[in-house]
Amino acid sequence: MKLSPMFVCGATLVAVWSLIALAAPLLATHDPYAIDFEALLAPPSADHWFGSDNVGRDTYSRVIYGSRLALYIGLLGVIAPMIIGMTIGLLAGYFGGWVDTIAMRVLDITVPFPFFVLVLSIVAVLGPGIENYFIALALVGWVGYARLARAEAIVLRSSEFVLAARTMGFSHPYILFRHVLPNAMSPVVVYMMTDVTLVILFGAALGFLGMGVSPPAAEWGVMIAEGQIYISSAWWISFFPGLAMVLIGVGFALMGDGLAKMLRIER
Amino acid sequence: MNPLLSVRNLFVRFGETLAVDDVSFDLPKGGALGIVGESGSGKSVTCRALMKLLPTTALAKGEINFDGQDILGASEATLNTLRGKRIAMIFQSPASHLDPLMRIGDQVAETLRKHTDLKGRAIHQEVLRLLDVVRIPEPERWAQAYPHQLSGGMKQRAMIAGALACKPDLLLADEPTTALDATVQKSVLDLLVDLRKSQGLSMIFVSHDLGAVARVCEDVIVMRKSRVVETGKTREVIDAPQHEYTQMLIASHPDRLTLHTPQPVPQATPLIEARGMQIRYGGGGLIDILTKRAGGFLAVKGADFTVQPGETLGIVGESGSGKSTMARALVGLVKPAAGEILFEGAPAKPLGRNRAAYLRDVQLVYQHPYEALSPRMRIRDAIAEPLRRHKLCPAQEVPARVADLMAQVDLDPTLGDRLPAQLSGGQCQRVAIARALAMDPRVLIADEVTSALDVTLQAQVMDLLIRLQKERGLTMIFISHDLAVIRRLCNSVIVMRRGEIVEAGPTGQVFDDPAQEYTRTLIDAIPRLEAAHP
Amino acid sequence: MKILRFIVSRLLQSVPVLLGVSIVTFLLMVNTPGDPIRLLVGVRASDETIAIIRDRYGLDDPILSQYFTYLGNLVQGDLGASLRFKVPVSELVAQFYPVTLFLVVYSIVLILPPVILLSVWSAKRPNGPADQIIRIVGVIGLAMPVFWVGLLFARFFGVTLGLFPVSGFGTTIPEHFLHLFLPSLTTAIWVVPILTRNLRSALLDEMNRDYVTAGMSKGLGAPQVFRTHVFPNSLLPTLNLFAVIVAYLLGGSVIVETVYAVPGMGKLMVDSILARDYFVVQGATLVFALTTIVVMLAVDILSALIDPRINT
Repeated sequence: MKLSPMFVCGATLVAVWSLIALAAPLLATHDPYAIDFEALLAPPSADHWFGSDNVGRDTYSRVIYGSRLALYIGLLGVIAPMIIGMTIGLLAGYFGGWVDTIAMRVLDITVPFPFFVLVLSIVAVLGPGIENYFIALALVGWVGYARLARAEAIVLRSSEFVLAARTMGFSHPYILFRHVLPNAMSPVVVYMMTDVTLVILFGAALGFLGMGVSPPAAEWGVMIAEGQIYISSAWWISFFPGLAMVLIGVGFALMGDGLAKMLRIER
Repeated sequence: MNPLLSVRNLFVRFGETLAVDDVSFDLPKGGALGIVGESGSGKSVTCRALMKLLPTTALAKGEINFDGQDILGASEATLNTLRGKRIAMIFQSPASHLDPLMRIGDQVAETLRKHTDLKGRAIHQEVLRLLDVVRIPEPERWAQAYPHQLSGGMKQRAMIAGALACKPDLLLADEPTTALDATVQKSVLDLLVDLRKSQGLSMIFVSHDLGAVARVCEDVIVMRKSRVVETGKTREVIDAPQHEYTQMLIASHPDRLTLHTPQPVPQATPLIEARGMQIRYGGGGLIDILTKRAGGFLAVKGADFTVQPGETLGIVGESGSGKSTMARALVGLVKPAAGEILFEGAPAKPLGRNRAAYLRDVQLVYQHPYEALSPRMRIRDAIAEPLRRHKLCPAQEVPARVADLMAQVDLDPTLGDRLPAQLSGGQCQRVAIARALAMDPRVLIADEVTSALDVTLQAQVMDLLIRLQKERGLTMIFISHDLAVIRRLCNSVIVMRRGEIVEAGPTGQVFDDPAQEYTRTLIDAIPRLEAAHP
Repeated sequence: MKILRFIVSRLLQSVPVLLGVSIVTFLLMVNTPGDPIRLLVGVRASDETIAIIRDRYGLDDPILSQYFTYLGNLVQGDLGASLRFKVPVSELVAQFYPVTLFLVVYSIVLILPPVILLSVWSAKRPNGPADQIIRIVGVIGLAMPVFWVGLLFARFFGVTLGLFPVSGFGTTIPEHFLHLFLPSLTTAIWVVPILTRNLRSALLDEMNRDYVTAGMSKGLGAPQVFRTHVFPNSLLPTLNLFAVIVAYLLGGSVIVETVYAVPGMGKLMVDSILARDYFVVQGATLVFALTTIVVMLAVDILSALIDPRINT
């Protein structure tokens, strides 16, 4: 398999971000939480590369530390939805019948809700915080995975190699694990890459709205919100965390795109 | 006289691969030329090059001269005055070549609107006349219909009607009958033969089936691996093929294969017996329960048959006749709605708890060689899988058993580390057979195993099955739409139509003296080499 | 009439979905922390008043009969009452919903031309330079946080250039267009890449179909084949995506309206969450879902009108 240049670009970006997150204490020039009344709203300079915010915290160091939270949210946030979604989708698609009927009805019900609105109202009920965001994702985020896995399982169920495995007298769990799962993985993995981007974006959006990670944490969404009222005078407070989000999101999205191309999945 | 079409030194290249390698031929006005070859021989590409209907990645060289017009050098605009008007084309699988969102009448009318001055009513009248010419009943009604409402044969007729609309000089037919049932295929071939006479059409007919070509064309070229290997009058080529490959092609044609005399079968307890087997698809929905009907669709309507030990039973029928469904019921892939299956006189439960024990005796081999193998599993592991899962032999003996099985089906042992996608279709089919044999079955059900293969491979796989049967004393159920294949292999035969067994008996008797009209039509529809024009 | 029968059966099919949606919002409501009635009437209300209201909403009944009370109220248009504004939620919806609708339709108007242009352009030469650039720009667009883009736009177009107002909705219709331009543009930036990608792959799928070869063999020429065959056929999958897009737009409106202080449903919802005004939050969620259901219905009926294979 030839590596697609898109995948290489994306993987490089993601790798760089992972290194930044790991080496944050080495890369940061200031303590991300240190308040400095000498440097309020300081513009980018040799001392504060990305400027400083309204209480004098160094934006550059906060952006660097923010990568830890972003990766943590993005990577952890997709795990539960993927496992739940794959399980439900594969079982529904492979067995069909009433299992499928129930799964489909539940899927139908979640379709009309705008994803972000549903996440928001669940977080509203549970209260703000990253753990509650993860719970909300587990409750509604599995739908996309289930839909994909189900579609794959339906095709695989009637493919001749699965039928052949059944005529060999193998058990259903064995066939599901050995023959269906490996062949249903590719589109799911591709979807997961895009999902990481979305989970990071939505997590930051929650932070921005004051329902995610709570201040004073160095979280990009929170930082953008803090800079909102200073946008005309001190644009750098909001600008740099947003740029960081674009760069990390592009990394995962390119990886997904390149992977799709390599596996010849058209989206 | 100048030929209508003259091709000189045609080369078509797709990147690194040469799809057409130095092809030359002439077609006189009113003539019909067949191009025969197996899949990948370059016959279809040649046909499309004649209209310069090639993908942008293709590079064509050489000379194609149509009635004084250079085709390969012509501009797209010039070509579009020829395409559809003077050269028309019909394709394989009419279903996908018709636009699903457009009425049949409009699709036939497209060429008329493009190339003639006809308007409104006149176009409508002409469309109806054309549909009548290709023998579509009630043209008025079907012109209004959408493609999905037509049967396969009718779609192909509609496509032919569209091709004939502007009275072209040359019709290019690219495997026009391949995806159709034998009886439908025959009717389309008959139509093409008639049209040649009545419309004075010249024709290029591309097919993998020499029998079909023999019916339509007086000249033929045989292609293999992008090159022409033989050219001549169809009759002469069939009677006295010069090239080694043509000889093999003709010898492999089901028509020419030596009839295999199956071993006589002692009348004993039948090995498999089906009693009143009914199979239903769908049904059981809410409305069906409320109205107390079974609902759904009855795919097999009460089938009774027996298979003697050591016998080969053939099941023939056209698509949708229920023959494959019946086979699937025998291995527990579908559950019969009624009736029972007996194995050695005792009720068999292919779906029950102990199905593994039953399935060790009864194995099924599938139609599509590539699809029947797990794409991410190496050949060696695929064959070893039943041995390991069912612990058919001690773990340390598995590699030896696999090697032995591969040898039995004539597979090179070095292929074991490959994935299915790295094998040819014939090799995949051998792997599938070896995997079924790993279970050491007493009954082997072959479901259209030869249909997806080229004729030469078809003959090899059949030989393999015959050999295995002799060596292992296998009982076989051989399912096919191809009567010639059935005739060659089977002791007795069952003819199915729309879920019912219409005729059953010893092969010789059914073929030589069919009791049912339907069986006779099926037999008559087999494309025969003897049908060639003298 | 076949199409009429299709519409009726499609309407019937949405009944279970509607019920399911109501169950979801009901579950959100019953899990709300604290006693909503206590919050509603304030700390000084007598226990008697609270008992009366609890009875009105059936809050002391078993969960199942609570649901039926809730459902009954919904059918009558009673979504509960706002704690903050002390008015029925339905009144708030009537006031805020049109603004969001305006924003969504406005966004769609801004989205369609670039989507059609870009997807046709990139499908013409798949993997050509234009296609690659559009693809990469699309990926970047996807990864951009909507609220950040909103802030930057407000700063650049609103403050630096002074071209557009950066908040509010205005009072006259021309003012609406002016005020909602930046919010709609912000939403569009996010949706254009998604739609372009889908329409492009639908176009490419259709361009590789056999009937295109058949059309070319009739001498129709590539432009006519594209117009009469490829385009209509690629519209169908894209149309189906439209309902999903409207859901995206509604989700995006929550953030965009907050950034630009547009008095729509999204801002209402966010403000209500922060103010613990739970009936409004649940009401807004329900209204968003209902909007998508109506769009889905319209899309299905439209598809049935275009595609003869559906309604037979």
